[in-house]
Amino acid sequence: MKKIFLITWLCLFSAMTAFALDGNEILKQVDRNLNPESFEMYRKLINIEPDGTKKEFVMFSLKKGKDKIASVFLSPASEKGRSTLRIADNMWLYIPNVGKPIRITSLQSVTGGVFNNSDIMRVDYSAEYNCEKIETTDIGYTLYLKAKLKNVAYETVTMFIDSAQLLPNKIECYAASGMLIKNLYFKKIKNFGNDIIRPSIIETDSPLYKGYKSYIVFANVKKKELADEIFSLNYMSKIDGLR
Amino acid sequence: MRQVFVILTIWFVTIFFNGLAFSENILENTPEDINVGLDDLDLDFKIEEIEKKPYSINVDIETKETLRIFNRDALLFKQKYLDNKKEDTAWQTDLDLTIEGQYQKDSIKLYGRFNGLFYYNDDEKWESEKKAEEAYISFQPSFLWAFDAGKKVHKWGKGYAFSPSAFFARPKDLDNPDATLEGYYSLSADYIKSMKGFIKTIAITPVLMPVNRNINQELGPEDELIWGGNFYFFTFDTDIDFMFLISDNLNNRFGIDFSKNLSPSFEIHGDAALIDGYQQYIIDELGNISGSEYTAFNFLLGLRYLSTLETTYILEYYRNGQGYSNLEYENYLTFIERGYNQYLNTSSKTAILKSKTYAAYYNQQAAMRDYLYLKISQKDPFGILYFVPAITFIYNLNDQSASITPQITYSPLTNLTLDLKTRLLFGAGKTEYGEKINMAKIVLSLKYYF
Repeated sequence: MKKIFLITWLCLFSAMTAFALDGNEILKQVDRNLNPESFEMYRKLINIEPDGTKKEFVMFSLKKGKDKIASVFLSPASEKGRSTLRIADNMWLYIPNVGKPIRITSLQSVTGGVFNNSDIMRVDYSAEYNCEKIETTDIGYTLYLKAKLKNVAYETVTMFIDSAQLLPNKIECYAASGMLIKNLYFKKIKNFGNDIIRPSIIETDSPLYKGYKSYIVFANVKKKELADEIFSLNYMSKIDGLR
Repeated sequence: MRQVFVILTIWFVTIFFNGLAFSENILENTPEDINVGLDDLDLDFKIEEIEKKPYSINVDIETKETLRIFNRDALLFKQKYLDNKKEDTAWQTDLDLTIEGQYQKDSIKLYGRFNGLFYYNDDEKWESEKKAEEAYISFQPSFLWAFDAGKKVHKWGKGYAFSPSAFFARPKDLDNPDATLEGYYSLSADYIKSMKGFIKTIAITPVLMPVNRNINQELGPEDELIWGGNFYFFTFDTDIDFMFLISDNLNNRFGIDFSKNLSPSFEIHGDAALIDGYQQYIIDELGNISGSEYTAFNFLLGLRYLSTLETTYILEYYRNGQGYSNLEYENYLTFIERGYNQYLNTSSKTAILKSKTYAAYYNQQAAMRDYLYLKISQKDPFGILYFVPAITFIYNLNDQSASITPQITYSPLTNLTLDLKTRLLFGAGKTEYGEKINMAKIVLSLKYYF
């Protein structure tokens, strides 16, 4: 009888605790722990095919606020100088040969492979998603997120968070149909300096690309004050000059 | 045989200069790597890209083999060759080298892109062309301001295939709208300002373009200073541009464009331009010339849609207010026909040479009034990464002639792109695409970036 009472009490307590937690506040805190409000970083994107063939891309990126990110490809030579810009749900790609920015969508991929533009031009999760449900787990929280707008790359996202550091361990990305599109695994937490402690690697796999794996490796993540004008179409060809 | 030799030579050169890159890839593809995991990867992000150098140089080399299959019955074939061309096909081999370099010191940047083309065909044998596509100096004193002087491409407009409002640029190649263009000599500035209101960003781009016998002489016979500008606004998640150009040689032009995502996978765009005092020359079936001056109105409406299967559709309707009507174009072709018959009967080239005088107007791409452009491309089909098959349709709504271009692009190795494109032309007699010189064109290209 005592055991039954204890279990019931524990269940009620954990449910009440979860109810008291604000998932959206946790999400905002996760965003801030993943990166500062305004910062620069270098990223290496690695696509690995089932036969072991690797293709790598290096990008320099600048992010300001919740929903502005601009990037330029530094390598390989075939992609060098291409730049991307995202302001909220608007995305553009500038190709030096083409000479003018064109609008692109979150589902497309400027690199090909498992990563789509939404992964590469990631803005704050709290800018794109609302937390609909929160559960507590042994290690932290599970947030069930729903996109604020329809037809985004991932309609719903399940985020598994380590409560000790308030950083995600894993994110599952689902289409509107409920189909699992992609898993993101956050690995190798690293101190980048200036209180920026975050996973340095995101590993990705997808049931849609069986046998394929992709990685994003982060480096030189630094706080930086950035002018709003940098996040404009006319600046896309000049982003490399800010390095 | 010649083509095979050329291609092998280029491959040899490419592999020779990139032996390390190729061997690295071969080594990377050993069976042990098949189940590569996080611990097997070198993720020490020590790469030279982080250390920025003040200069950078990029080179790309492209070898291209083109097979043209002539339409010997076509009137434009007869206009060009009379009865001097016996072959049904023609080959051309291209070796195209582009060198791009830049040097940046503080707020000053020097940039240049230079192209050298060596080509061989049966008519011209080995020939070469070289040009500076862009070469300019840029001064950027702040985030708000930038000034450029030199040869630069100013690409305005939102159209993918057509650009009625690209007033300061050369026309795109409909066959390859993404191809690099050559710029014009100009002085330009960029002022960008971000704001908090419903207009999020404005950008103003004034342009000055001198025309004289030394620079930009292709823009007209009269020395003048062409000037104009572009005003960009980002508001309500929409890109909007207003642009103008003031010139005696080119006629004054005024334009507007917009682009907006209706949903993340569905974009619409449009361009419109007025050309004041446009002079159109019309040749009738007897070779009489008449001219008319009017304000031409060109516009396009387009959309870009990405399906859940990652198929991209680009559709554009283009209204060419400077184009010819069905009857006007048919009259031109009838005049060529008469001229060719005159040549056969009397050996006189007078009429056919007269028709050639107006070829610059009538034989240019999209010379008529109404066109539909549709490009469908599929990303990574059959699970093949970096493989993109596509098909492009250009349909002349006035005479129901068309061009269909299936294409495959594949990038099996980093920095290497293979492209195979076949352009097929369809149309009845005395239609635009039915009377082109080629009935088909097949192009195989290999491009390597250093």
